[in-house]
Amino acid sequence: MFVNIKDLSFKYPNATTHCLESFNLTIQKGDITTILGESGSGKSSLLRLVAGLEMPEKGSISVDDQLMAGPSTFVQPEKRGIGMVFQDYALFPHLKVEDNITFGLHKWTRKEKKQRLNEVIELVNLKGYEKRYPYELSGGQQQRVALARALAPKPKLLLFDEPFSNLDADLQLKIREELRRILKATGVTSIFVTHDQDDAQALADQIVVLRDGKIIDLGTPRDIFGTDCDFSDRIAVKPRVLSKV
Amino acid sequence: MYKKVLLYSFLFLSMITLAACGGESTDGGDESEKEKEINLYTSRHYDIDDELYKQFEDETGIKVNVIEGSADELIERMKREGEQTADLFYTADAGRLHRAKEQDLLQSVESDVLSENIPEKLTDEDNTWFGLTKRARVIVYHKDRVDPSELSTYEDLTDSKWEDRILIRSSENIYNQSLVASFIELDSREDAKQWAEGIVKNMAREPQGGDRDQAKGVAAGEGDIAVMNTYYLGGMLNSDDQEEVKVAEQLGVFFPNQDTTGTHVNVSGIGVTKHAKNKENAVKLVEFLSSKEVQEQFASANYEYPANPEVEPADTLKEWGEFKEQDINLSKLGENNAEAVKIFNEVNWK
Amino acid sequence: MWLLKGVNVLNWFRNIKSNWNTWTILSILFIVIILLPSLSIILQFAAETNENWLHIKEYMLNTYIVNSVILVLFVGLFTAIIGSSLAWIISAYDFPLRGFFQWGLILPLAIPPYIGAYTYHGILNYTGVIQTTLRNQWDITVNQQYFNIMNMPGAIFIFVIFLFPYVFTITKAFLARQSTALIENARILGTSSWRIYYRTVLPIARASIVAGVSLVILEVLNDYGVVKYYGIQTFTTAIFQTWFGLGDLDSAIKLSGTLMLLILGLLVLERVLRGRKRFSFTTTKVRLLQPVKLQGKRKWLAFGYCMFVFGIAFIIPFIQLIYWAMLTYDQSFSVEFLQVIGNTIGVAFVAAAIITIMAVVISNVSRLNRGLFSKVFPKVTILGYSIPGAVIAVGVVSLFIGLDKQIYEWGFTSSYILSTSIVMLIFAYIVRYLAVAYNSVESGFERIGTQFTDASRILGNNVTKSFFKVDIKLIRGAIFGGFILAFIDILKELPLTLILRPFNFETLATNAFNYATNEMIHEAALPSILIICISAISIYAFHHVLERE
Repeated sequence: MFVNIKDLSFKYPNATTHCLESFNLTIQKGDITTILGESGSGKSSLLRLVAGLEMPEKGSISVDDQLMAGPSTFVQPEKRGIGMVFQDYALFPHLKVEDNITFGLHKWTRKEKKQRLNEVIELVNLKGYEKRYPYELSGGQQQRVALARALAPKPKLLLFDEPFSNLDADLQLKIREELRRILKATGVTSIFVTHDQDDAQALADQIVVLRDGKIIDLGTPRDIFGTDCDFSDRIAVKPRVLSKV
Repeated sequence: MYKKVLLYSFLFLSMITLAACGGESTDGGDESEKEKEINLYTSRHYDIDDELYKQFEDETGIKVNVIEGSADELIERMKREGEQTADLFYTADAGRLHRAKEQDLLQSVESDVLSENIPEKLTDEDNTWFGLTKRARVIVYHKDRVDPSELSTYEDLTDSKWEDRILIRSSENIYNQSLVASFIELDSREDAKQWAEGIVKNMAREPQGGDRDQAKGVAAGEGDIAVMNTYYLGGMLNSDDQEEVKVAEQLGVFFPNQDTTGTHVNVSGIGVTKHAKNKENAVKLVEFLSSKEVQEQFASANYEYPANPEVEPADTLKEWGEFKEQDINLSKLGENNAEAVKIFNEVNWK
Repeated sequence: MWLLKGVNVLNWFRNIKSNWNTWTILSILFIVIILLPSLSIILQFAAETNENWLHIKEYMLNTYIVNSVILVLFVGLFTAIIGSSLAWIISAYDFPLRGFFQWGLILPLAIPPYIGAYTYHGILNYTGVIQTTLRNQWDITVNQQYFNIMNMPGAIFIFVIFLFPYVFTITKAFLARQSTALIENARILGTSSWRIYYRTVLPIARASIVAGVSLVILEVLNDYGVVKYYGIQTFTTAIFQTWFGLGDLDSAIKLSGTLMLLILGLLVLERVLRGRKRFSFTTTKVRLLQPVKLQGKRKWLAFGYCMFVFGIAFIIPFIQLIYWAMLTYDQSFSVEFLQVIGNTIGVAFVAAAIITIMAVVISNVSRLNRGLFSKVFPKVTILGYSIPGAVIAVGVVSLFIGLDKQIYEWGFTSSYILSTSIVMLIFAYIVRYLAVAYNSVESGFERIGTQFTDASRILGNNVTKSFFKVDIKLIRGAIFGGFILAFIDILKELPLTLILRPFNFETLATNAFNYATNEMIHEAALPSILIICISAISIYAFHHVLERE
C-alpha cells in the first residue's frame, strides 16, 4: 500500500478526549481518497498528522514505504515530500503568484524553476497571472495558485483541507471537475478532507466517513451513496451514510 | 544558511555590547592610570558638584569618576560590591552617612587639613565622614499675615492657633524624617509622636509637592507658614522666573528654637569607603572640597551654609542672620530614622 | 505493560528530539537569564517576617493598597475609553488631519509621566502661567483648590493622558486589520456609529484593549515619580518607604514580591475571564477597513475630539517645556550634552535591538509548540515589568557581582569587569522591558497564525528558514513596533539607569531627573524635550513603516 496508517491515536494537549483513536487506513497509489465528516470529527487532525504538523500519540504513518511517524521516528514536515492545499490557501501575501508557486522548489536551477512554473501554471490555467499578488486574485484563482504551489515540487502525496469551503457554489462545481482532471493527469495520490457529500462523491475513488475520530464507513462512492446518485437530484438521494450519521 | 544569519546577528550584537563595555571598562581598569583616578558614589545632583570635580581634576590630574543614585540604592550597591567598590560616598543627609557607617562601609580618616577646615560637630565621631555643607530647616511665614513675634519653636507649631495654617511636605521626605529623628533624640519618642500628631492636626492641606511648593502655597494663601529648607528659598529669591522671586519676597525666614534647643540642621557629607583602592587621592578630594575657595563656591551656587567656619555664606543667607543650631550628634539622625518613619505612619502623616 | 512503557519512553525521546531545536534552546536560555534576578526576589518572599513587617501591615498596607486600586481602576477605565474610542474614530472615519492623528496621538507616550506631572503642576500652580496671567493682567487671585493638580484625580489625569496611547495603538492595529468584515456588516445593517462602537467594536477589540490596559496598569503600579511628587501613597511608596525610610530592604523585596504575585494573579484572572472567547480570528485573508468620509458637523466633532486630546496630552506640556528650556538654555547646554545624547540613543538602541531579537525567538517558540508549558512559560517575561525598577536593580547587582567574583577568582580579570561596565545596565533593561517587545511581537504572530509557517514547512523549509522567508516578512510591523516601544521606554527609564550605569555615564533621563528632583524644573526642560523629540521621531518612523505595509 502507498499510504499506511496504523493504530493511530492523537489528542491535543490539554484536551480530555481523543481526536483520533486507533485509526487505521490504507490508500493505493494514484487514488483520490476523501475523508468525509462533520466538523470536530477529527478529519483535519488526520490530515495534519499525515503532513507532519502534529505529532501522534500512538501508532504509525508511512508513505511510499517510508516511515514518517512511529514510536521512535518523527520526520519533520519539511522532509516528508508531501504537498498540502490549505482551507484558506495560506498564499504568502508578500510574494507574487510565480514566487508563491516556486517557493517549494529548492535546489532547482533557475531554468528548471521557470520550466516547472510554466508547466503548473498551464495545468491550473493561470497563464498571465504570474506577476500578480494574491490579494489581486479572485477566490477561485487563489485556490488554483494554492494547488499549483502544492503540485510544483512534485509531491508523493497531496493533501487538501476543505479546499472548496471558501468558494461560490457554481464555482465549486466547476473546480471540482477540473481538479479531478488535474489530479488524474498528474497521477498524484491525494487525500481530501471535506464535510460536503457532493465533493466526496464527485472526486473520490475511495471515501472514508469519519465520526468522533473513528471510521464508521469506508468504500467507493458507489458503496456509500448507492448507484442512483445524481448531482441534480440531491434531495432524492438517501445515501447510506445519512442513516448512520 | 539562515541559522547562520541568526548566529551572526547575535555575534554582532554581543560584539557591540562588548565594545561598549570595553570602552567603558578601560576607564576603570587601566593599571597605569589607576593612581590618577577616584571613583565616587553620590546622591547629590548639583551642577556645582560637577564643576568642582573638574576643577579638582585640573589641579591635581586626578580624574573623578561618578555614579549618581539615591543614597540607599548606592549603599546597597556598595554592600553587594564588597571589596570592589567606589572610593567615596557622598550624600545629602547625615542619617544616610550614618547608615553607611553602621553597615561597615566607611573607614576612619586622619587628616589635619580636615580637622582644621571642618568643625568637630559636623564630623563623625570616628572620622568616617565629614560634613561639607549645612542646610537649616526653618519656618517660613507670610510677611503680611504673620507677625514673627507669634513664632517661637517647632513645638509651638502644634498649638491650636496654627490650625489649618501650616504647610509641610510629605513624610516620605528625608528632611522631615530627620527633623522628627532629632526630636526623638532631644526629647523622647513619645514627644516626637505628639509633635507629629499636632502638626497633622494643624496642616492647611494634605502634604504634596516639594519645599518650593510649600512656599508657593503660603504666597497663594493656602496656609500662612511653611516648614522648609533654607536653600530652596535662596534658590527662589535668585530664580530666573520672576514669579518665583515675587513669591519668595513675600516670605520671611524664622529660625525656631533659638532660646531652647536650636534650629534643626542637616549636612551633606562625604566619607571614604572601607575598601577604597585609591584612599590617598580620595582624601585629597575631600580636603579639596573642604578648602576655603571651594566652600565659597558651594555657598554661592547652592545657598547652602558652608561647613568651613572661615567661609561666609551667600549674601542672601547673611541677610537672614546667624542662628543657633541644634546641638546633637548628627549620627543620631540616622539611628532614629526608622522610628521617625514609624511615627509618621502611626499619626497618618501622608 | 513493559512494551507500553517502552513505547512511552521512545515517544518521549522522539518528542524531545524533534522539539528541541536551536530555537527552543535559545528561548529557554533567554527566559532563564531574565528569571535569575527575579529569583532572588521570589526567594526573599518566602523569608521570615521581622518586626518592621508588622508595622508595615498595620499602618501602611491598607491605605496604600486602596490608593493603588483606585488609581489602577480609574486610569485603566479612562485609558480604555479614550484609547479605544480614538482608535475607532481614526480607523473608521475620515476627517481633517486624520493622517496626522494616526501617529500624532501616539506622541504623548514620548513624555515621561513624571516630567508631565512636573510640567502640569508648573502650569497650574501659583507661579504658573495661568495664575500669573490672571494675577498680573486682571488682578484675579483664584482659589488654589481649583488649580490644585497634586491629588488623586490629578495623578489619574496625568497617567491617563500620557499612557492612553498604549491602548490606542494596539486597538487601532487590531481594528484596521481584523475587524473589517464585522464592522462593515454592522454598517450595512444600518447600525448607528455609537452603537457600532459599543456593541461591536468594544467586544471584538476586547483582547487588544485589555492588552493595552495591562501595559498601562503595569506602568502605573511601577511609577514612583508621579505619586511621590503628588504625595499619593501607593503600593510602590510602601516599597520605597520600607527600604529608604525603615532601612529594611528585605521587607521591601517582600512587598515587591507581593506586588508581583498580585500582577500575575490579575493577568491570570483576565485570561480566565476571557476564557475561550478569542476574537482574533486568524484568517489569512486580511482586508483593510475603509474609512468613511465624515461631513458637516460630525466631521468637526471627530476632529475636535482628537485635537482636544492631542492638545492636552502633548501640545500644552510641550510648549511649556520649550518655554522653560528657553529660560535656561545657556546653562544646561554644553558640548558634554551632546555626549549625553549619544549615550542615550546608543544604549537604548543596542538594548532595544537585543530585546527585540529575544522577544522574537521566545514568541516564535511559544507559537509553534503546543502544550501548556510553552504557552505559559513566556508569560514570565512580564515579571520584570511588574517589579519596581529599583528592586530589579538590586537583583541585577547581586547577580553581576556574583558573576564577577567568579570570573575574578578564576583569574581571567584583575578587577570586576561586568559590574563596572554597561553590560549590567543593558542586561537590566532586557529584564525590565522584554515584556513590552514580547507583547507586540506576540500579537503580530497571533495575527498571522501558524498557517503560513505550516505551508512553508510543507513546501520544504525548516522552522528557521520559514521564519526568515515568510514569518518575519509578515510581522515586520509588529517586530519594529516592539523595538520602538522598548526603545522609547528605555529612553525614559530612570531607576535602573541611575543605579546601574557605569561611572560617568549620563543619559537624558538621568540628566532631567537630577534637575527635577532638586526642584529645578526649568533646567530639566531641555533634556526632557530631547527625550520627547527622539521618541517622536521614532514614533513617526514606526508609523511610516506600518503605513507602507
